[in-house]
Amino acid sequence: MLITPDVEAMAAGPEEPGPGRSWLRGILAPKVLTGLVIVGVFTAMAVFGPMLDHADPGAITSARLQPPSLHHLLGTTQQGQDVLTQLIYGARVSMEVGFAAGILTTLWSLLVGLTGGYLSGASSELLSMFANVFLVLPGLPLVVIMAAYLPHSGSAGIIIVITVTGWAWGARVLRAQTLSLRRRDFVEAARATGQGPVKIMLYDILPNEVAIITVTFLGSVVSAILTEASIAFLGLSDVTQWSWGTMLYWAQVSGAELARAWWWFVPPGLCIALVGTGLAFINFGIDDVINPRLRSAGSTPRRRRSRALAGSLARLARPPVRRAAKGPEAARGPEAARGPEAARGPGIAGGPGGTAGGTVLELKNLRVEYRGGAAPVRAVNDVSLTLRRGEILGIAGESGSGKSTLARAVTRLLRPPAQIVSGEMTYTARDGRQIDIAGLSDRELRQFRWEEVSIVFQSAMNALNPVLTLGTQIDDVLRAHRPGMRKVQRAARVRDLLHMVGISPDRAGAYPHELSGGMRQRAMIAMGLALDPEIVVMDEPTTALDVVIQRQVIETISGLKDTLGFSVIFITHDLSLLIELCDTIAIMYAGRIVELATAGQLYQRPLHPYSQGLLGSFPTLTGPRRTLSGVPGYPPDMRRLPAGCSFQPRCPRALAACAGTPPQLIRPQIPDPASVACLLYDTDYQDHPEGLTTGGGRA
Amino acid sequence: MRVMLRRLSFYAVTAWAAITLNFILPRLMPGNPAQDLINRSAGKLSPAAIKAIQVLFGQPHTSLISQYLTYWRNVVTFNFGVSYSFYPTPVIQVIRQSIFWTVVLIGLCTIIGFVLGTLLGMFVGWRRGSWRDALVPVTTFLSSLPYFWFALIAILVFAVSLRWFPSSGGYGIGLQIGLNWPFISSAIYYGTLPALTIVIASVGGWLLGMRNMMITTLNEDYVLLAEAKGLSRLRVMFTYAGRNAVLPSVAGFAMSLGFVVGGAIVTEIVFNYPGIGTVLFQAAEGQDYPLLEAIFLTITMAVLIANLLADLAYIALDPRTRES
Repeated sequence: MLITPDVEAMAAGPEEPGPGRSWLRGILAPKVLTGLVIVGVFTAMAVFGPMLDHADPGAITSARLQPPSLHHLLGTTQQGQDVLTQLIYGARVSMEVGFAAGILTTLWSLLVGLTGGYLSGASSELLSMFANVFLVLPGLPLVVIMAAYLPHSGSAGIIIVITVTGWAWGARVLRAQTLSLRRRDFVEAARATGQGPVKIMLYDILPNEVAIITVTFLGSVVSAILTEASIAFLGLSDVTQWSWGTMLYWAQVSGAELARAWWWFVPPGLCIALVGTGLAFINFGIDDVINPRLRSAGSTPRRRRSRALAGSLARLARPPVRRAAKGPEAARGPEAARGPEAARGPGIAGGPGGTAGGTVLELKNLRVEYRGGAAPVRAVNDVSLTLRRGEILGIAGESGSGKSTLARAVTRLLRPPAQIVSGEMTYTARDGRQIDIAGLSDRELRQFRWEEVSIVFQSAMNALNPVLTLGTQIDDVLRAHRPGMRKVQRAARVRDLLHMVGISPDRAGAYPHELSGGMRQRAMIAMGLALDPEIVVMDEPTTALDVVIQRQVIETISGLKDTLGFSVIFITHDLSLLIELCDTIAIMYAGRIVELATAGQLYQRPLHPYSQGLLGSFPTLTGPRRTLSGVPGYPPDMRRLPAGCSFQPRCPRALAACAGTPPQLIRPQIPDPASVACLLYDTDYQDHPEGLTTGGGRA
Repeated sequence: MRVMLRRLSFYAVTAWAAITLNFILPRLMPGNPAQDLINRSAGKLSPAAIKAIQVLFGQPHTSLISQYLTYWRNVVTFNFGVSYSFYPTPVIQVIRQSIFWTVVLIGLCTIIGFVLGTLLGMFVGWRRGSWRDALVPVTTFLSSLPYFWFALIAILVFAVSLRWFPSSGGYGIGLQIGLNWPFISSAIYYGTLPALTIVIASVGGWLLGMRNMMITTLNEDYVLLAEAKGLSRLRVMFTYAGRNAVLPSVAGFAMSLGFVVGGAIVTEIVFNYPGIGTVLFQAAEGQDYPLLEAIFLTITMAVLIANLLADLAYIALDPRTRES
């Protein structure tokens, strides 16, 4: 198979267990447990309480307004009724009304939401309008009026009133959910097999809405209990039927708050709030399962699968045409290219004295772990890299290889649970000043950012703030870092920057949604260059673009790099693009660098079996014909990496030793500065030395 | 502009629905509310008042269509008949006297509650895993409490025990209502406790909503990029994260407003505040259907206007809705 699109799925969610387990964990979360216990206790009170306490909640005695005592644990009312007894009997009515109205409301919401969402056209619009109208109508006054028309109708009347006035919210939520499910493949498939709409709704859509329905139901119960309390408190229900609301009604009518009889009205209010909190806690747990981003374990970088996929399609469609300057080498055979190739590119991996400037960034044994799950996941493992001034360093790899995590480590943008565990990141400024990036304080970091290292993200649409104009977003950088600049100067700079990347300067007042995809990405590059940084990290800057626009953006980057002289770390899964653009390329696999070589060298003679596979994934127009071998299998599960070489299970040339010995990055052919982490090139394990020189994997 | 027109037509439909609902409800209910009312009045009502009640609640021997048309004419001319519980004051006058109090109290409190809750939610959502997370269960609990219970506690603590504020009413006895300082200062003094109750009770809901949106927004690339740009923390929090996170709150204003207004109206009753909530309570107690209906229409219209304003705010906040 080809390289899978880079969704960084492994690095993003290494702690993500299967759906079954996440449910279990959701239920076992402390908040949910607390909620279940609270609701359980009150349900038990409502069901069994009146059986245990046979006293009449309405019985009038002479013990009036007694504060809590051993005899009356919660004191008495003005009529000498026992507050605790009333509370227990009240639980029954309040919970009964709450749950009954909750069930009816949810059923009605479901009926309107499901049919409204599944059907299309006028009937759907009408149902949606119907729900929205009821949503806007203020509920309580409507409830009051309806209750006033239905005096003394008991719980049944109240339940009906609550249902009629409270269904709209749930219907809206369920409609939205149904709308999104309707377009899913499995529903389309069911429709294609000729299933009727009712059957599809019941068997294909409904089971997928269980979580949302539960949330809606619990929410309805809470609001029903509150509404019942309000109606009862206003004296609009049967005031001789004891509920928490009627208790509060009698307390208010008798002026309990003026008589300082707190024991009378505090407990029913607390009970209502406790049941509400308990149900809300359960909802939080369900929400956490539905929406993992709210999970308290911490946020994880998120990628957009569809965009990445679109990018990979674009990549497949585009033949890798090498940059003109490198063309002749590409056409030559591997033997011919060897000599000049080594001399041409800048030195790499400890080979100082390259043709370009000195080191601008040096990473040493960098290690980043995600510590959300049971065992830490090493997304970046022992990575050492050198970036020279004016160089374009490419980093390639499949999804989950850790390349984006590496980009975020260098810019110190990692968020929990990801953290740098060890290693060094040293930045060397133009004046020779060395900065330890990992050791910067918050204030120093703010000054360092963008001034020295800027970053361009994959999707400009998501990386641009949708509510600010392009100009403001660039201006923000100048205002933060160049406090001395006047407004006019800043505006001029913004115009210059836009002009530089080929955007008409009058677009500074445009909002991101008003620009085309290519313009947005170029605007991102303009923003990245606002402060003339030394390094621009580009994390898949072209993946989301179509082929033609991708080409324009790449040309913009190369052109600007040549005039401005910044260095670039260019991250992508598109190896052909890197070969065309970069000086040096690092291939990452499972968090490690498995090969580090000049672009030409990698293209001519990839050493690592994985690199050979990656190159075998690309068809070529100009190069020699070769079989598209690709890389068999799938990216590894970062939580369960194999003991030896991580690539070994997928490796067509694996040795017996590969399963047990993790390979180190070595330079097998000393005149060549290329490094590789593979036992095939380790003299201790070599058994087919002739296979090495021919570069393997090529036809 | 097109967005605004769509919203306007939606509110027009909602207004029509509310007015029609008001027409249908009494005719759907078991029994005959109009006749009940006339009978209960025991000859107290003038023939003109009886006629008005019949127009609103059901006329014998007249077709529904013509009843509906007459009803509409009365609604448009604000002729809601005579209040039964405030006899012989016309309904419209009862509403006119009380609506001002409610608009000022509930309007101000809703805005304060929204701003405060949103700001707090932004701060809580900004840094998770700190002590601020403890606010979530606390605010969940607070937002589950009935407003009127809060009001009872507030009266017990601040009016009865501490004697800081009066326990009921809207202004001191014997003051001339108008633009004079003694009245205004007294109205502020009397209004503080109800206002505090409504603000504290409503803040939790806004806070939780904003916190969740803030957490979702913080994962957006543009927030990460703002951080990478080296912007100040406040700038990232307000202009990049908060500014976007608040949009759903504004968009969902309608949904929450009904809840807040309902709660606030009951709070008025506890404080015996001279607003429309207290009048609604008296009307419900006295089964004063003409007044009830008119109050429902008034509150609905006020909520619709508030929603329209929220929509305008949304359009101002989100440039994506301004596409021509």
